[in-house]
Amino acid sequence: MIEKRGPALTAWLYLGAILLAVRSIGPASYLALGAFQPPTADLSNITAGFTTDPDSAFTLDNFREAWRPGSTLEQIDENAPPPGPGLARPLLNSVLITVIRTITNVLLAALAAYPLARMHFRGRGILFVAILATMMIPEQVSVVPMFRIVVSMGLYDTLIAAILPFSVSAFGIYLCRQAFMSIPFDLEEAARIDGANSMQIWWHVMLPLAGPTLATLAVFSVIAAWSDLLWPLVVLQSEHNHTLPVAINRLLGVFATNIRIAYAASVLALIPIIVFFLIAQRFLKAGIFAGAVKG
Amino acid sequence: MSVVKQHNAASPFLFLIPALAVLGIFWVLSLGQVVYFSLTRYSPFREPEFVGLENYARLLSSERFWFCLLNTGLYLLVTPAIILISLAAASIVHASLRYAKGLRVLLFLPVVTPTIVAAIAWRVLYNEDAGLLNAIITTLGFEPIGWLSTKPWTLISAMLVTLWKGVGFYMMIFLAGLMSVPRELKEAAFLDGASRLDVLRVVTLPAIWPIVSLVFVISSISALKVFDELYVTIRGAPIEHQTIVPLVFDTAFVRGDYGLACAIGITLFALILVFSIINLRLSSKGERA
Repeated sequence: MIEKRGPALTAWLYLGAILLAVRSIGPASYLALGAFQPPTADLSNITAGFTTDPDSAFTLDNFREAWRPGSTLEQIDENAPPPGPGLARPLLNSVLITVIRTITNVLLAALAAYPLARMHFRGRGILFVAILATMMIPEQVSVVPMFRIVVSMGLYDTLIAAILPFSVSAFGIYLCRQAFMSIPFDLEEAARIDGANSMQIWWHVMLPLAGPTLATLAVFSVIAAWSDLLWPLVVLQSEHNHTLPVAINRLLGVFATNIRIAYAASVLALIPIIVFFLIAQRFLKAGIFAGAVKG
Repeated sequence: MSVVKQHNAASPFLFLIPALAVLGIFWVLSLGQVVYFSLTRYSPFREPEFVGLENYARLLSSERFWFCLLNTGLYLLVTPAIILISLAAASIVHASLRYAKGLRVLLFLPVVTPTIVAAIAWRVLYNEDAGLLNAIITTLGFEPIGWLSTKPWTLISAMLVTLWKGVGFYMMIFLAGLMSVPRELKEAAFLDGASRLDVLRVVTLPAIWPIVSLVFVISSISALKVFDELYVTIRGAPIEHQTIVPLVFDTAFVRGDYGLACAIGITLFALILVFSIINLRLSSKGERA
């Protein structure tokens, strides 16, 4: 620590921290509790299930039901749709799409951001605003033409269709540009004098120094790709191509009467991303990247 | 400035080409088509028929449009709150309290929770007869609030969800910025006898200004085109309680008037573009470039 904090300031910081924590866990814990409730429990009063009937208060049935292919509902309800693929295949698809989208997004955004932050060329300002403008179109209208474009390219119902349009984002480019702008010019100048070309400066100077931001962008890309529903729902038709959110959306429809199964599937979908975030925490620390440049 | 003159003219585009190809093919081309469709009468199972500016004339004379536009303007009020709270949260985590790590995970939970799932839980909190919020309010002796049915509470309910989701997201961005501020700069300022406030004003804020301006621009854009929170939280509330993008959705996919929906979408797009350019101009004054 640079300076000793007074006890009053520390108390305020802790108070703020506690308030923020309470604010953020409420809804998520409701979801998690609901996923363990038996069908008989009243979900509008979640604590009741734990107190009224101890025998059926806590169950893993919802998770089993969500995970396995097919569904027991067929026997009860003849109108139920044919058995789904379970969650294993959607899990695999989601992992694949998420990994590829994240790598391309960080790489292509960092590439495009460098000239926008550091080089002077004609039309730079307009190009930057045009890139940002792609963020300003409401997806609810652009999804129709984008769907037509994907179909005309022959990519409909392929995993590539779920990846390609989102392989780089204006947000990522913007975030990297701002991070590069905060890097002192002298470091770049020094590398230039040592004979480095633009590509080497980008790789050896800019990327390591913007490390915390690139790591943050990677985390955001993972989350965006992992939880994206609208686009995969539109372009992925076959069940073996479905992603987790699409599969959960299907469960919400099929099990409208027993929403706990969709809750359980949501909890299952949340676990990998929380584990990922806990691991990623280490890489979000400045020190790891700072060391690479100081020498 | 000698640095930037030494690259040859081709190299900026070598860096830009992959990103521009993706954004150009999928997003700019889509935008072009949306502009075209906004000039047509276009409903399901019919080919678009060119009608000029008819859709724009229709939306200007539609009361629904002006209601929703006003609500969209009001929705912007959520951005200053998001920025202040997320910056404060980032400072708390950055000050490395003992439990900062756990706090960061907790704050980030709303960001990873799918909106549809979060909304189910929020609707339970907001439930007007049996919800937790009204239970607290009535216990304190106040009148219950119509969170999901009366103005302006419907909008405020959705804004609270936006705030809940946004704080974790923008905190992460601020945190990345704060971690990039060289520690030596702050230490030097303290040695010169600067107070905590001075260091914040003279060292930290200028250093993370590009990030602050980014959060400003991005959070305004997403507030102006808010959809998920309204769609899932106050689903069923009349259109006068909604903002522009839910109106776009309703026009396109409920009423099947895709041409008009595109016209509304393009009008919103133009407004966001102008607003963002002003935002960029104002906020880039503090940037080194």
